[in-house]
This record gives sequence, structure tokens and C-alpha cells, in this order.
Amino acid sequence: MAVRADDIPVPRGRPRLAGRVREWLDQESILGPVFVTPALLLLVLLVAYPFLMALYFAMSNAFIGRPSEFIGIRNFVRLWDSDAFRQTFQNAFVFTGIAVAFKLVFGICLALLLNEQLWFKRFIRGAVLLPWVIPTALSTLGWWWMFNSLYSVVNWTGIAVGFMDPPGPNWLGQKYYAMTAVVTVNVWRGLPFFAITILAGLVAIPRELYEAAEADGAGPVARFWLITLPLLKPVLAIVVLFSTIFTFSDFNIVYVLTRGGPINSTHLFATLSRVVGIDTGRIGEGAAISLYLFPLLVFVVWAQLRFVRKQAY
Amino acid sequence: MEPIRRRRFLTTAAGGLAGILATRVPPARGQQREVSYLCWNNFAPASDKKLAEIGQRFTRDTGIKLKIDHVSHMGPQQAKYASEVQTQAGHDLVEMRMHFPWLYEPQLVDVSDVVGELEKKYGKAISSAYEGAHVNGVWRAVPQYHGMFVATYREDLFKKASLKVPDTWEDLYTVGKELKKMGNPVGIPISQNYDSISTAGPVLWSFGGMEVDKDGKTVRINSPATAQTIEWYKKMFRDCMEPEVLSWSDASNNESIQQGKAGWIHNPVSAYIVAKQRKLVTADGINHHRSLGGPQGRHETDTPRHIGIWKFSKNVEPAKEWIRYLLGKREVYDEYIMSGDAFNLPVYDKLQDHPVLRTDPKYAALRGEGVQYHTYGWPAPPSDKVQLITNTYLLPNMLAKAVTGTSTKDAIAWAEIEMRKILAG
Repeated sequence: MAVRADDIPVPRGRPRLAGRVREWLDQESILGPVFVTPALLLLVLLVAYPFLMALYFAMSNAFIGRPSEFIGIRNFVRLWDSDAFRQTFQNAFVFTGIAVAFKLVFGICLALLLNEQLWFKRFIRGAVLLPWVIPTALSTLGWWWMFNSLYSVVNWTGIAVGFMDPPGPNWLGQKYYAMTAVVTVNVWRGLPFFAITILAGLVAIPRELYEAAEADGAGPVARFWLITLPLLKPVLAIVVLFSTIFTFSDFNIVYVLTRGGPINSTHLFATLSRVVGIDTGRIGEGAAISLYLFPLLVFVVWAQLRFVRKQAY
Repeated sequence: MEPIRRRRFLTTAAGGLAGILATRVPPARGQQREVSYLCWNNFAPASDKKLAEIGQRFTRDTGIKLKIDHVSHMGPQQAKYASEVQTQAGHDLVEMRMHFPWLYEPQLVDVSDVVGELEKKYGKAISSAYEGAHVNGVWRAVPQYHGMFVATYREDLFKKASLKVPDTWEDLYTVGKELKKMGNPVGIPISQNYDSISTAGPVLWSFGGMEVDKDGKTVRINSPATAQTIEWYKKMFRDCMEPEVLSWSDASNNESIQQGKAGWIHNPVSAYIVAKQRKLVTADGINHHRSLGGPQGRHETDTPRHIGIWKFSKNVEPAKEWIRYLLGKREVYDEYIMSGDAFNLPVYDKLQDHPVLRTDPKYAALRGEGVQYHTYGWPAPPSDKVQLITNTYLLPNMLAKAVTGTSTKDAIAWAEIEMRKILAG
């Protein structure tokens, strides 16, 4: 029996809709936004909204639980009157400058070491990441015990081997020692990030370049300065950029180790912001403290990304 | 039983929902009352267990479900308050230390009625509780208990060296020199922590000084009394203490006396309670004596705790019922206080000679005869500006500067300028 086309049941509604959706999604102008929207929503909700709120708070006399008024940049101007803030400003640059420099130098050294043919290479590479993986507050608590005046294992060891005179340095009670302590912990924690990222950059450098250089008689130092370092520059720029931002905004290490003392000599923007904004309720001022360096950091980001782009092309 | 058909289920549910929405009264089954209570981890852990036990009895007796949450004291507690107030959501009741009700005044329910009932029964709330929770003529939180600072010393060492128990801050200098020679220095923190303020305040007050006047506007730190205070700290730091006090946290003085190093500290009885609970070898040797005095009297830091109710709470009446149950029933309040092993003391006049003080002869000093108790910043009302002076540690930092080389005059001038700027802001 012949079957007429009209006799075949045609599924109605759904297939037509599905077909239309497929048709839409085939268009790049529609598919692109569909993929980007969830990420964009997350960014708006978790980054843009809190940032705009912080910006508003910073330009208001907001106090927890009370109505607030817009006061322009008065918070930013008035902060300079505070000795604690001026000290914090200085601390942030000293802390970040020294810590990032040490992390960069040690990070390159560690990455070069990890790039060699070592026994238990995978295990060592995994172990190097530990300081980065352990929750900062927890590991800093361990360091606090090591620097604690009553139980300091650092001083105990130093005295035992004759390296220090009893009772040893007052790590957390003297401003230079306290800064040394917080920088040390920050370097210890941030080093894996540098080492592993730089290692990824090292692995990507073609071996042929080294072989050619060796054939031309270049020694290890020359190979490092003329091949490794120039080719690592984009990676280094990115890693320094991220680390500068993370280090400027560090909170846990100082909060657990010194709470900003002695005499505010280790306070950073985040820790002072907490004291003023949360502990005392003045969230307007607290937000201004935490956003103080935002314009500078934006400039740093812009300059470094520009540098990276130049290196890449 | 006839099965419920879909159409009937939908009709009944829609009708019920419409009724609830129209009358705004939930059905009887949904009307179970429930309150949530955020309190800090008590230094006497047995007290938290007792609180949970009392809470269960409260639920049984009143039908109001009570959910108790704990948060670590100081840091996380403040962040939690801030987030609850900003989002207008969270617990109904909150435990507040010292002068927090001043910071959160507009967000706290007026609880004068509850405090009135308690005062009628137990007498007036003690002065420090009044300073902390009575804000601009209104009780913004109900005084719950307090734990005051006291002189804690190694009685065994004092006896061994035939040292006289000090009665004034000057006496402490005399015995402190001997203690340091014995290897058991005095342990008074001079760092960015609250214990540092808890000692610096009483010393300053005992010499007749203050940070800000009682009008809350006039800075009074530049005075001969402050200079005397600084000179006293300088000689104590030089002759009776070790530089480690510049790095101490709130727990360090406790640990120092518990581990057998410090011979004298200024702290609530928690150092002794913990040593006793952990059966430390130093526990037997630790005792307390009356707070020290100076030319202008005998002043001491008190740390009262209060219970506040957030205005955004939808369960204000059940929340008040819980406060009345915990604090208003004498037998329950006694039970709660006893569980704190003298760390939590009652805050009402008629209860000051509480049986908890007789549970250990070493608690005798807590009677505090002749001692005036205050919270930080006294005599200024604890406004946010006065609290910013406290929270930025201007007083201990002034002392830290002075003992590490800054002249007394310059240290005072620095503190005065900083305090003026805060009050002007």
C-alpha cells in the first residue's frame, strides 16, 4: 500500500521549537552571549556589585546600621591626618616591595631547580606547593608559635647552636623584627606561586635554543641571561603583577601574627581597614582605607599588561 | 480512606494559601515560636554546656524553640554583628561585650522593661554594666554577667622570697624588681591588644588621669597624671619586665604565669581557672589579690556582658522571654553563674556576695572591696569616636613609644594629637 506523505504523523510544537533554538544557537552573535552570560552574571554579582558598594561606602560617612550621606572624597583626604594610616601606607610599600623581590628571586631559583632532572621530581613539585595550599590563617598560626616570645623554636634553635644570645630577638615586639617576620611568612607562602608559574614558563622554552647557545660556547650564566630571562619576561611580568596585588591586600598573615603592632609598624591596608570599619563600625572610613591604593594598582595593572603585550608581539 | 484527588488537593491548597495571605496569620502548626541566640565561646567552657542545658529546659517549659550559636570572642564576633546588621538578617539575640550596645544603638530593641524587672528583683545593675548598656537614657541590652580584672600572682614564689603582697602600683614596682631578679618578671602587656588597655586604664585612672573627659569631647591625655603613668611604666619595663611584653597577645600573660615564667600578671581569674582545669603544676601556686591603688584611688577594668535583641528580629517577645528565663529566675541565674567557675559573675547589686565566690578561697579578691570598676575609655561615654581611640590602641602605643625611647613629653603629645583628630573627625 502506498503511503502518502500526509499520512505520516508530524511531531508538532517541540521539534519545531528545538529546531528554531538550534538555528539561533548556530549564529555566533547569539551563542557567544549565551556562553558569556553566566560568567558575566557571576562577575556582576560577586565582583562589580561589592566593588561599587565599597566605592559608595568609601565616599560616604557610612556607619554600621545607621543612615549614611555622600561626602565625596573627604574620607580619603582625612585619612592622611591619622598617624596610623600614614604608617600603614609606608608599611604596605615596604612589605610588598621586599616580599615580592624575595619571592621573585627565590621563585626563579626554585623553578630552575625544579626544572632539572631530580629524583622524586613529581613528589618534590607537589611538596613545594604545600605552603600555597594550607589555609593561610592556620599556617600563620604555626609561624606565630615559632616567633612567640615564650615558645619560639627559632630563638631556641638559634641559642642552642650559638647563633643568638639569650633571649634572642623579640620577633613580634620590635618593629624591624616584626616586619621581617611578616615578610618571611609572606615569602614562604607566596614562593610556590612564583616557582610553579615560572616553571611552566621554563618548560615552554624550546630546548633547541639552549643547544644552539651551547654549541656557540655559551656557559650556564650566559644562557640564563641571554635566553632564559628574556623569554621568561612575559611570565615574570604576570606573576609579579598578581603577586603585587595579592601582597598589597594581604590580611591573614599580619592579623594573626602581629595584629598590626608593635605601634602600627606592620599594619597593612586590609588590617587597618578592619579595625576602623568592622571593629569600630566606621565602614565608610574602613572602605576608603581598603580602596586607597586602587588607582595606583589600576595603573600598575595597565602598565604591566602593556609591557606583556609588547613582549608578546 | 478515600484517596485525595489532584483537583481537590489543588483547590484546598490554593484556598488555604489565600486564607493565610489574606489574614497574614500562619496556621497553628506553623506558629511554633523560635528564637536564635548568638553568644561567644565562654572562657569557662562548662558555662556553654550549662547554657545549652538551660536552653533545652526553656524549650520544654515554654514551647519556644531556642537555637544557640557560638562564635569566637573579639574578631569574628564583631564581623558577625556587622554582617547581621547590614543585611538585617540573622539571630534574634546577641551577646555583647562591654560597650558594644553604644555602637549598635539604633539597631537594638529598648529592653528597659526587662532590666527594670531584674533591677527590682536583684538591685541596680553595677556601674560598669550601666556604662556599657545604658545608652542615652535607654537600656539597649540586658546586663548578663561580668568578669573583672584582678591581680594574679605566684603566691608560692612570693612566700619563698618573703615578698609583701603589693597594695599599690608603686608597691608592685618594689616587688617587681625582686621578681625579675628571680627570673619571674612582672607580665603586663604593652602591645596592640585589649589586655594592654585593661591595665593601662586602671594605672592611668589611679594616678588621676583619663584619655577623654566625661563630656566625650575634650581630650585630657596631656596631664601630669599621664606623665606619672608613663614614668611608672618606664621603670616597670626597665626593672621588672622583659621586652617580650611588647609583642604579647591577649593570651600571653596567662600563658606566661601558667608556664611558670611570670610572677605577677593583671588579668581576670581565667589564668587560674585554666591552670586548675588543665592540672598545671603552677595552679596551686597561683592566687589573686585585691586590685592595686594609686594616689587617686583604686580603679579596675571590668568587662561586662549583655544580651541585646536586634530590631529586625520578628521574635522580640519570645526573645525577652528567654532573657527573663535565664536571668530573671534566681535559681536558673545562680545555676548559670555557678557553672562559670567565678569567671562569670552576677551584675546586680544584691547578688555581689554570690556563693560562687566561696567555691574557692582564691576567689576572695573578686569581692573587689573599695575598687571602682569601669569599662575602656572611662569617664567618657563610649561613643564610636572614643571606641576608635580604644580600637587603634592609642593608649598602649603611647606607652610602647615611651618605654622604647620616645620622651614622655613627645609620647603624650603624639597621643594627644591623634585623639584630637579622632574626636574632630
